Amino acid sequence: MSASSEGPTAVARVRERRPRGADVVHAYASLAALFAMVVVFSALSPQFRSVDNLTSMVDSAAVLAVVTVGITFVLMLGAIDLSVEGVIAACSLAVALLVANTRTGFDLGVAGVGLAILLGAGFGLLSGLLSTLLRIPSFMTTLGVYAIGLGVATLLFAGVRPVVEDPWLNGWASDRFLGLTLASYIAAGAVLVGWLIQRYTRVGRYAFAIGGAEDITRLSGVPVARYKAIAFAVAGAFYGLGAVMATSQLGSGVVEAGTGLNFAAIAAAVIGGTMLAGGRGGVLQSMIGVLVLTVLLNGLILAGVSPYAQRAVHGVIVVAAVVAATWPVRHRLGVVK
Amino acid sequence: MRRPKRHRRSVLACVAAGGFLLSGCAGEAGGGTTDGATCDPEEIKLIGQVRNQTNPYEAAWLSGGDEYAESVGLEQEHLTYDGDSQRQQEQIRQVLAGSGVECTVLNVLPNGDSDTAPIVAAADSAGALLVTHWNKPADLNPHDFDRWIAHITYDDEKSGYQISKALFDDMGGSGGIIALQGILDTSAAQNRFAGLQKALGETPGVELLDDQTANFDRAEALSVTRTLLTAHGEHVRGIWAANDDMALGAMQALEAVGRDDVKVVGIDAVPEAIAAIQDGTMTATVSSDGPWQGGIGLAMGYCAATGELDPTAVEDENRAFYAQHFLIDESNAAEFADRELDMSDFECANLFNRATGPIAE
Repeated sequence: MSASSEGPTAVARVRERRPRGADVVHAYASLAALFAMVVVFSALSPQFRSVDNLTSMVDSAAVLAVVTVGITFVLMLGAIDLSVEGVIAACSLAVALLVANTRTGFDLGVAGVGLAILLGAGFGLLSGLLSTLLRIPSFMTTLGVYAIGLGVATLLFAGVRPVVEDPWLNGWASDRFLGLTLASYIAAGAVLVGWLIQRYTRVGRYAFAIGGAEDITRLSGVPVARYKAIAFAVAGAFYGLGAVMATSQLGSGVVEAGTGLNFAAIAAAVIGGTMLAGGRGGVLQSMIGVLVLTVLLNGLILAGVSPYAQRAVHGVIVVAAVVAATWPVRHRLGVVK
Repeated sequence: MRRPKRHRRSVLACVAAGGFLLSGCAGEAGGGTTDGATCDPEEIKLIGQVRNQTNPYEAAWLSGGDEYAESVGLEQEHLTYDGDSQRQQEQIRQVLAGSGVECTVLNVLPNGDSDTAPIVAAADSAGALLVTHWNKPADLNPHDFDRWIAHITYDDEKSGYQISKALFDDMGGSGGIIALQGILDTSAAQNRFAGLQKALGETPGVELLDDQTANFDRAEALSVTRTLLTAHGEHVRGIWAANDDMALGAMQALEAVGRDDVKVVGIDAVPEAIAAIQDGTMTATVSSDGPWQGGIGLAMGYCAATGELDPTAVEDENRAFYAQHFLIDESNAAEFADRELDMSDFECANLFNRATGPIAE
């Protein structure tokens, strides 16, 4: 991202129209929800409070965190992305086939990981271009790209799963530093990069402006279509990285590697305060949502909730968390569709 | 892996209506029922239908069908419906709308129990030959039909029991285990877990520390196992998984925390699991022999179409049966790793050799 601090003044003006106080309140509300959850689970289960469990939760959150960073850029635009599972499927198979594996002769190592991330960015760009050039709502185009990704993954799978034999990539899931796996540090790095993109590049700043008021942004001379497409591509790159991490954890290229992640990522972003209407929230807020969901899944098991009841309890708490997180700013949401 | 899906009553109603319409068409065409008549082997159309080709089991099923088709000089048409009941019915309707339907053989994996009835109705009234696998309602039986040759399934409770026994043996008959269940509202998950509970009842030394669902999914099994390992730590000596995907996910979780003293079992015999058994990192799995399933349905249909098999002459208990499954452990993993189809299984005289008895109600 070379585009940097030469100030997008028009956008700055757009942003000033919006009071920042609401966002701050919102972030506190979701933090409070997270805190309440931690307190309750700590009281219910001594294992929940253990250091072992803390590291295990951080490791579990890694993939979701990276994917959520990506989807946050799309949600900030006021668009939606339903392609996550398809893109992850294709990238998972791609990276497994490009590094040392049991099926192909490739042994590209780092370059293979880079190519998989590029593939993800390519899918994202495709979603973005289809939405902007053909003026089709993003939920349709990304649903199409989801199917394309799944199709590509099925072709690459060809009946036999490629098992990853690259010790470096396998090490992401098993090598530890200070108790945490490398994947957790990579995720932390990705969150930092995501935050820098959001804060200091045109892509990030315009994404906010476009989500807040697309017409005004366009009238201000911002090439809206171009930056929308780029934001989708950035999101796709993060899905690609998430796919690489999931592949490392699963040990082979798996078409279903992204199952459930699309919904979880959207839920995490919304709990954190990234509104589906766009123009609000951000990478760091979304991470609060990621923690809420991870703590919830972990805590329900450790607290001994019956597996038969877990899904229902999980659903109820997610809805409650969204309500708690959005309550303070609900008057600003306007019409909810 | 096998996930009977939600019931879709409205779809069923439409499809049932479609089936009646088709029966009308076939009657008018004058070639609908061909009892006793035989087909020219070259005119026989072989069709294999499964959910998708994104998992090793169903991919192996289709390749088994291809191999059989090739052995009789034909080609198998592949249909996949992505676990979508509506699409499955639509595909069946299209196939049965063509000509030469009475020489068409369908080897089908219905999406769920309730999807079987409309498929059977449509195939029977159009005169196509049909073999179904895994899912059917208990009160619907092939012996009440002429063209629905057989329904093949496996005794899930027995599979669950066998891997439990193998696991307990490998643990030396004592210690704690955790169980990863499949999708809780499927009969496959319920019956496999019942098998585990039966084995637990017979082995007082082994304690079930926790059971959770990971929905037959590898990534979910990874995170659930990680949580359970923090909860129960060193007490966990074995992991029972209702399918191999979850077993493989659990093994990744064990690797990530550096545990190599925990035994793992699963069901399905996917290639990675067989390789793991050969390496000694996994204890056992159960194979239903997917390639055989892909071939046997086509073979039954082929033999019926050429007149070498009269479905109505087969005993009732062989029309809907539990097929033989195989426990794979260290002793025989190598044999299953590069197993080839035995074409003699598909000869018209041997079609029911793997039947181990009627389906229990």
